[in-house]
Amino acid sequence: MYKMTATILFAVFAVAFCNPEEEAGPRLLVSKQILNRYLVENKDIEVKYTLYNVGTAAAVGVQLVDNGFHPEAFDVVGGHLSARFDRISPQSNVSHVVVVRPKRYGYFNFTSAEATYKSSDSSVVQVSLSSEPGEGGIIAFRDYDKKFSSHSWDWLAFTLMTTPSLAIPLALWYSSKTKYEKLVKPTKKAH
Amino acid sequence: MSKSQNKGFTKEEELLLQDFSRNVSTKSSALFYGNALIVSAVPIWLFWRIHLIEIYSSLILFVVVTSIATYLLALAYKNTKFTLKHKIAVKREEAVTRDLSKKLSEDKKMSKKEKDERILWKKNEVADFEATTLSIFYNNALFLTIVIICSFYLLPTFTPPVNYTVSIGATAGLLALLSTGSQ
Repeated sequence: MYKMTATILFAVFAVAFCNPEEEAGPRLLVSKQILNRYLVENKDIEVKYTLYNVGTAAAVGVQLVDNGFHPEAFDVVGGHLSARFDRISPQSNVSHVVVVRPKRYGYFNFTSAEATYKSSDSSVVQVSLSSEPGEGGIIAFRDYDKKFSSHSWDWLAFTLMTTPSLAIPLALWYSSKTKYEKLVKPTKKAH
Repeated sequence: MSKSQNKGFTKEEELLLQDFSRNVSTKSSALFYGNALIVSAVPIWLFWRIHLIEIYSSLILFVVVTSIATYLLALAYKNTKFTLKHKIAVKREEAVTRDLSKKLSEDKKMSKKEKDERILWKKNEVADFEATTLSIFYNNALFLTIVIICSFYLLPTFTPPVNYTVSIGATAGLLALLSTGSQ
């Protein structure tokens, strides 16, 4: 009875204390952020990936890949959608930025990127998925332009079109007014 | 007296009738409607380029609203001119009298009555001209200013067709209403 109890207790403690061995080693947390405030058709979108090693050992052979930007929908205009880091030390982080340009407007689901890495003393490949920015609306360029463009040339054209309607009547009235006011003035000066 | 009654009104009476009548000549009417059409149509450019209104789908709306605004604006021109004419006639009376008296003083053959009639006619003409031009300028400036304020500050959240209809229609209506005031 006592032997059985002792054996069971020993087994429980053995399981409990074997966990720290699994926690030792590299552990990457990956964040994927869209840095833009506005997502606009045919205008650049900056995507920042930050890899945090919260583990106790260095992560080696880190490969970051983002398959979420299909070439039919996006052009890559800066950086690459895959990146490689030879080593990320424990309790440190690295970042990677990609600039993409959407070809169409509409709602788009920004999915996770994938990071694969190994520990220096192990050949087991670990996989970590980044955070998911979620659904974002890419607005049409004309709507963005309507909101933010200064329309300087349009206002200038409008001013030119309205000037004759204002300047001509004013000039005609003013010329008549000054002509007849001059006729009255000499008498007033004499007084 | 009987002879003039048989012939109709004297020149003086005709001028007085014209003075107190709101009717405008055909030439003035054409001028008013022409100006009103141009000024009512010009804001379409702003709505197309800045508010991005659809041109082809809103064509009928443009025609209807521009027609209504043209009529109301022409009405505003007419009423404002009538109000201004009397004020301007009073101001220009002395200057016109002096100017014409100087020119006609050398003509000994002309009677005093004829000279007075000419002065009255000239005074009416000058007042008519200045009132017409000032009325057109005043109403145009007010129309364009209020349309811009309405469409960019009061109604930008509405759809472009609604924005256009209310801005142009309400402004033209407001000007027509204001012009009926006695001041």
